[in-house]
Amino acid sequence: MAKAFKYGLKGIRGYLEPAERELLRSLFDDVISMLEPEERANEDPLAALVGLDTEAREPTDRAMRRLLPNVMKNDDDASLEFRRYTERSLRENKIGALKAAALSLDRDDLVLTPADARHWATALNDVRLVLAERLDIRDDADADNVHLMQDWAQAEDVESYLALVYNFTTWLQESLVQAMVHSLDARR
Amino acid sequence: MTLSVALGPDTRESTQTGTVTSGDVLTAPDIPWNLVIWNDPVNLMSYVSYVFRSYFGYSEAKANKLMMEVHKKGRSIVAHGSKEQVEQHAVAMHGYGLWATVEKATGGNAGGSGKGKGKRG
Repeated sequence: MAKAFKYGLKGIRGYLEPAERELLRSLFDDVISMLEPEERANEDPLAALVGLDTEAREPTDRAMRRLLPNVMKNDDDASLEFRRYTERSLRENKIGALKAAALSLDRDDLVLTPADARHWATALNDVRLVLAERLDIRDDADADNVHLMQDWAQAEDVESYLALVYNFTTWLQESLVQAMVHSLDARR
Repeated sequence: MTLSVALGPDTRESTQTGTVTSGDVLTAPDIPWNLVIWNDPVNLMSYVSYVFRSYFGYSEAKANKLMMEVHKKGRSIVAHGSKEQVEQHAVAMHGYGLWATVEKATGGNAGGSGKGKGKRG
């Protein structure tokens, strides 16, 4: 069984079983592949270099829309304009955090530096946002229902398996954030 | 937002004033944009509060107050500034996975400027 992340003298330490590491690695990889921009043959290399994406569109997939939301509530044109200037680097930052978190899973000791911890927190958060869309979590009542699913012996279909995975990543992120809050308090 | 299974019933009611304190009232009339954070059932309350503390440098009390406002009212204006400033904050919030938008401050929210009064959104 995984152990909650704890803040201590050497930083934030966690413990995960090999199977849990495998699970997280595949979750991080899934979200990375969702976020990776498509290769475009006729793209202006200079535009790509400065992070401009003239082809950027509001995502049609709900999970992607949650990862890369519109910046204005009631102005799609302005949001799209903004997206063309910012979405590529937002994707790259998210991918960077997910890759860093996946990489630290290769180490025997799961001891996180402050930078590692930030990568882990956002990576777990992005994974949870995607899982929540797949589980159709629309409001707090939906979230509570998913929380009830705690017993791996009950996992008999994809949805209950996803719910267990969601609850595991929720628990892990919560313990990480608590440890990060402790480290924040300790520095003051 | 959600309260995770690992967290006790620590909702910090004591930090809830329910009213906008004087420190939050904007006096400069030339700061016309708001950064809004929206509630969602996924983000952890502890995480949202942590982001407000670490990114904006807000005190624990202020971060929790804004977080609870998001949770209870569905949205909260967590920063003001020029359009460029709040857009930069919004991208940072999207990086953290928070649901953030920017909006022009209306008269009621911005305090000083009367020009936007009556306009919505």
